[in-house]
Amino acid sequence: MFPFVDGFHWSFGHILFLSVFGGVLALIGITLMVSLRRSARAALSGQSEAIRWKSDFHDLAANELSCRHELAGRVEHRHCHNEFDCRKCETHPKLANAAATSEFDVSTYGLSYPSDRLYHRGQTWVKREDDGTLTVGLTDLGQRLMGRPDSVELPAAGELLHANGQGWTMMRNGARVRLLSPVDGEVLEAGGPDQDFYLRIKPAGAQANLTHLLRGAEVSGWVRSQLERLQILTTPEGAKPSLADGGVLMEDLPKAQPDADWDKVYGEMFLEP
Amino acid sequence: MATNAVDPGMGIRIRAGERQWIGRGLSRCSPAVFAAWMAPWLALLGAGVYATYLCLSQGLGVTNLDNRFGFGLWIFLDLAVIALGAGAFFSGFLLYIMKWKEIKAIISSAVVLGFLCYSGAVAVLAVDVGQPLRSWFTFWHPNVHSMLTEVTFCITCYLVVLTVEYTPIILKNRRLKQVPSCLVFEWELHKLIPVLAGIGCFLSFFHQGSLGGLFGVMRGRPFAFREGFAIWPSTFFLFVLSAAAVGPSFVILTTKLVEWITSKRLVKAAVYHTLARTTGVLLTAYVALKSVDTLVWLNSTSASAGFAPWEYYSWKPFGGWILFAEIVVFGMIPALLLLSKRLRTRSGIVTAGALLACTGVVLNRFVMTIQTLALPTLSFDPFLTYMPNWVECAVFGMVIAYAVIVYSLSYRYLNLFPQEKEIAADIVEVADVPVR
Repeated sequence: MFPFVDGFHWSFGHILFLSVFGGVLALIGITLMVSLRRSARAALSGQSEAIRWKSDFHDLAANELSCRHELAGRVEHRHCHNEFDCRKCETHPKLANAAATSEFDVSTYGLSYPSDRLYHRGQTWVKREDDGTLTVGLTDLGQRLMGRPDSVELPAAGELLHANGQGWTMMRNGARVRLLSPVDGEVLEAGGPDQDFYLRIKPAGAQANLTHLLRGAEVSGWVRSQLERLQILTTPEGAKPSLADGGVLMEDLPKAQPDADWDKVYGEMFLEP
Repeated sequence: MATNAVDPGMGIRIRAGERQWIGRGLSRCSPAVFAAWMAPWLALLGAGVYATYLCLSQGLGVTNLDNRFGFGLWIFLDLAVIALGAGAFFSGFLLYIMKWKEIKAIISSAVVLGFLCYSGAVAVLAVDVGQPLRSWFTFWHPNVHSMLTEVTFCITCYLVVLTVEYTPIILKNRRLKQVPSCLVFEWELHKLIPVLAGIGCFLSFFHQGSLGGLFGVMRGRPFAFREGFAIWPSTFFLFVLSAAAVGPSFVILTTKLVEWITSKRLVKAAVYHTLARTTGVLLTAYVALKSVDTLVWLNSTSASAGFAPWEYYSWKPFGGWILFAEIVVFGMIPALLLLSKRLRTRSGIVTAGALLACTGVVLNRFVMTIQTLALPTLSFDPFLTYMPNWVECAVFGMVIAYAVIVYSLSYRYLNLFPQEKEIAADIVEVADVPVR
């Protein structure tokens, strides 16, 4: 088989055989080596969080990928292919000024989404403060989903956060929830469930770029889709569709509906499939 | 202390510790039910391991194989599972080369099936050839004039490819994903999977073909000998085409089986339609070429070897029915069933078509191994008979048990069907809406 093994002949067949299979083995080896090298480089340069978000986004169901402009009614149907980061979307600036048609009123469900805040799809909000810092908190729906958390782990002051990377974690009924940071920046102060905010952040760069966060009619369209999704997720498997009879969402949903699969609900609603 | 959590999907209890290993939102049976399912397969695996020990310690004398009938149940199993496992390479080809996005719904399952089929085949070969510690001889001192050498190299390389393709599926496990290095490696490896899919197609084309070519070049066996193109007999191309045709059908069958066992829907109907249509088209081409090949063999090849074709079918167990069954019952009929757009919309028809197609290829491999060896090659030769004994059956069962055990564990702890959650959540989608 090999030139140094007895019986080897420098024939066309031998050389072709060696070349083809040597080439295949080399290609497999190179593929593995490239993967390992890229992995090591990514891990060393602190890209694990960014890759985690890309991986999670890749696993989201098709009906969770609606573009913000679809939520606002500016386009009939459009999927996001930019990991919900409109800062790198070429189409976003072209659609941003189009008239929105979504007229859903979130207060119908007793929910409060103040218009002075911007919203991230991982159930968090961002508010610009007068001193140039940003405060980050949990949306009204997010608070109702978590109810009274069993524990909260917040980052320490000085830690750097990346948009769509881990912001903080919460536990409820044994299910761990990973809240995504809506912005890039440095943690200045940690709050908590008993305060008005969870994090106070000094934005990265001279001025925070919050283009990727939802606002105006996009928020109402998004909340509507989330409520529909929540209804499906908390419906027992095999149940037939039924008409809702109205009402306001409970303050502590896990307590109100303990039989639902909250681990699954949290995974879907907080973008951690 | 570990707590128990109710799995709302099925109203059963799974320990919180185990729940962390099961994908988010996936409902799985209780550990007790899972253990009960695994127990008989583990027993079968144990019996197979004992039979393997007998073979390796005492030689093939403990089997019913002999010098005249060297290819028996095991080689038949090898040929059959390698053909059925072609779903892995062909699904990869459709998804990564042809960009058929709907194949994404079954690609993980197809890769696991391919891995199990090929690793099972290699395990059986190790028992059959014997002396597994000297298996490197075949690479170091190969007979470069044998098609089996090409098969050995290709299967070994492809098993390595399948192992690499299986790795990101394992690393995507919910618990393992929490380890940053696993997550990053999975992501980077996944990006290069199209390269591996391309290599898989190349290797599969040649080893599927060479397995067929192996029989086609046997001049001493006029029943199997075929004319061909350049150095490749027609069986080379027929094996490639038949494997590509039934690969998607085997994926349909296994998915339907898992759906039936778990009482859940795992992939959308559109995916089945795509796979069924693919089998339908390829099987039609295969049946057409197989018919032409058979006619050429009946009228030319066999006659020139000095044998009247009907003599091969004069022995009752291998009468003309087997040729009719192979081409018409398990060829034309499933091809027509799966080609028809109207019939393809019926779940039962798709299952029946896929089952018939897979049976047809298994029968073809049986004909090529067992029937070929059973027929006389000289005018004074008798028909040979062969029946596997318990040792061969136990090793056969060991491979089946191994595949079921690993697939069951993969289904429980890995996300083999990405649409599973979506279907479970979408109540309207899963409603049994009749299709006109």
